[in-house]
Formats: sequence, structure tokens, C-alpha cells
Amino acid sequence: MMDELELLKKDWQQRGATAPKLTYDEICKMLWKKSSSVVKWIFLISLIEFILPHLLYLVPSLREGTEIYANLGIKNAMLGLTIFQYAIAFYFIYEFYKRYKEISALDNAKNLMFRIIKTRKTVKKYVIISLSVFFFTFIVFAIGVYMTDDISSVMNTENIRDFSEGRLKLIFGTVIIAAGIIITCIMGLIYFLLYGFLLRKLGRNYSELKRLEV
Amino acid sequence: MTKELEHSFVSELEKNQNIVHKVCSLYTNNRDAHNDLFQEITIQLWKAYPKFRGDSKFSTWMYRVALNTAITLYRKSKKRIKTQDYDAVIFKIKTDEYDETQEQQLKLMYKAVKQLNDIEKALVFLYLEDKDYSDIADTLGITEVNARVKMNRIKKKLRTIINP
Repeated sequence: MMDELELLKKDWQQRGATAPKLTYDEICKMLWKKSSSVVKWIFLISLIEFILPHLLYLVPSLREGTEIYANLGIKNAMLGLTIFQYAIAFYFIYEFYKRYKEISALDNAKNLMFRIIKTRKTVKKYVIISLSVFFFTFIVFAIGVYMTDDISSVMNTENIRDFSEGRLKLIFGTVIIAAGIIITCIMGLIYFLLYGFLLRKLGRNYSELKRLEV
Repeated sequence: MTKELEHSFVSELEKNQNIVHKVCSLYTNNRDAHNDLFQEITIQLWKAYPKFRGDSKFSTWMYRVALNTAITLYRKSKKRIKTQDYDAVIFKIKTDEYDETQEQQLKLMYKAVKQLNDIEKALVFLYLEDKDYSDIADTLGITEVNARVKMNRIKKKLRTIINP
């Protein structure tokens, strides 16, 4: 075996001459091509994660919601939640940027992987907190519905007057909570699948390197 | 300034492109993927170049960035064609005197190396490039002892692949 590996080494080092050769101009052109590295993908996806929820407020029909919040008496709670959402977003953008800056291809392989995983963990925490706040919004909404006396006029449900107030509250509450669970789960699933797929190779190689240290 | 930087970088890379090609041939299975990885390594090298201070040789610095790109940063492109005979093209064996047994042996060895996982390939690559164990350990971020232990395990693994 040793002989075979030595033979391979000799051949490997001689192989230089047979390797393909790119010209100066060909290399020049490559410099300005777009990178497709995982770090770039993490950066792009994270950027979308930070921006998307805040863009939703620009949708007119969602802005109308504020009126309903006021009628349900949860305006202040919703305002508090929004401020909290922005505060955590800014905190995590700062944390993310700090860690992202630490990623360098000049690091050794293990450190590089560690830093990428650390950066991803920051985004992961952000997403988990964001989704929790998102789900909490639905709960506050449901509580608002429960606490309101004249629910049918608030929710514009004159045409289904046959239902009693209690029944209506129950139906609205259940629908809101169910929608909250479903939407939160779908968003979470998309996120975890996306990252799982993106970092599968990295995770595998990192655990291989870590296993060497045991 | 950028022009000067670009010129010195491209000239150095042109001279040392062999290293990158070898990494590409180890980690990819067809010509498209080879070119794709070569391009990504070039981009990563270029991005890191302003930080290269010349305190180590250009080639030494290249090993690290090239392997990091292949193992960690590179995402395989979607357009991939499976060509089985690619190995034969890239690993065109050239020995001074034609020796059939030797050539057969080499073919088997190259095939076996290609079956290793990403980290094992990196170790074998640095070993074949005649790097010492402290360099190998340094590049991968493991201890020298572990690099030696792992290399011995890889040799055993290669043996079982060749003689199942």
C-alpha cells in the first residue's frame, strides 16, 4: 500500500503538465463573476428574513387591521409587539453583521465552518423569536376577540346574526388561533428546510472534523 | 490601484493554477463542475487577495482558500452532466515508460481517492502535495497528532477499497 501511495504521489506531482491551462484573459474574466458561496446565500436569505415581515405593513389591507385592533381594545398591545419586533430585528441585524464579518476564507477549515454555523445560529434565534412574536400576535388578537362585548359589529358580521355572541367569539377565536398555528408552522418549515438544504454539506464536513478531535 | 492589484493577482494565479485544477479534479466529476468550482475558487481567492500580505508564499495561501472553497463555501451548480469517463480524461496518466501494471495500479488508486469523503480528500490532497503534517493540521484546524492518525486510517481505507 505504501508503495502504491508513493507511486500516486509521484504521478500526482508530475501531472502538472497535463492539467488544463487557462489564459490570463480567461482568469481575468472570472474575477467579476458572481459568487455562489453558501455565505452569500446565507446573507441573502437572512436579508429577506429581516425585511419581509416589515414589508407586510405596507400592504393596505393589513394596515386597515389597525382599526379592528382599536375596536378590540388591543391597539396598545399590538403597538408594543411591533416595537418589540423592530427592536429584536435591529439587535439581530447588528449581531448577524458582526458574525458575518468574521467569516474569512483565510481561516483554517474548522474555524471557517464554525463561524458560518455561528452566523447561521444567530439567524436561527432571530427566526424562532420572530415566529414566536408572530404567533403571540394571533393570541393577543384572539384574547381581544374574547374580551369584546359586541363582537358582531366589530367584525362586520351583520349577515350572520343567527349566531350568539358567545358562539361567534368561539368561532373567531378558534379560527384565529388555528390560522396562527398553521401560518407559523409553514413559515418555520420553509426556513428550516431551506437552511437544512443549504448547509447539509457543511454540517457533514464539520462533524467529520470534530470527530477527529475526540 | 485596482488594476495593479488585478494584474499581480491574475499573473500569480496563472502561474499557480495547477493547484486549483488539482483541487477541482478531486472534488468534481465532470468538466462543467470542474470549471464551476475553478471559478468559485478564483472569486474567493480574489476576494481574499487584499488581505494576502506576502508573509507566506502565494501558493501556500492558495491551498487554504482553494480547499476552504471546495469543502465549505462551494455550492454545487445545478447544471451537472454525469460523465463517467471524465476520470479517465482528467487523470490521464503519463509515465515515462509505459508500464501496464503500474498504470492499472494508478487508475485504481485515483478511483479509490475519489471515493473518500471531503475531509479525507483534503488530507490526501495535502499529503500528495508533499505538505508536512503541521501544515496539514494548520490548514484543517486539527492537531498534528490527529492529522497523522487520520492519514493512517485513510491509508487503511484506501487499501480496503482497492482490495475488497
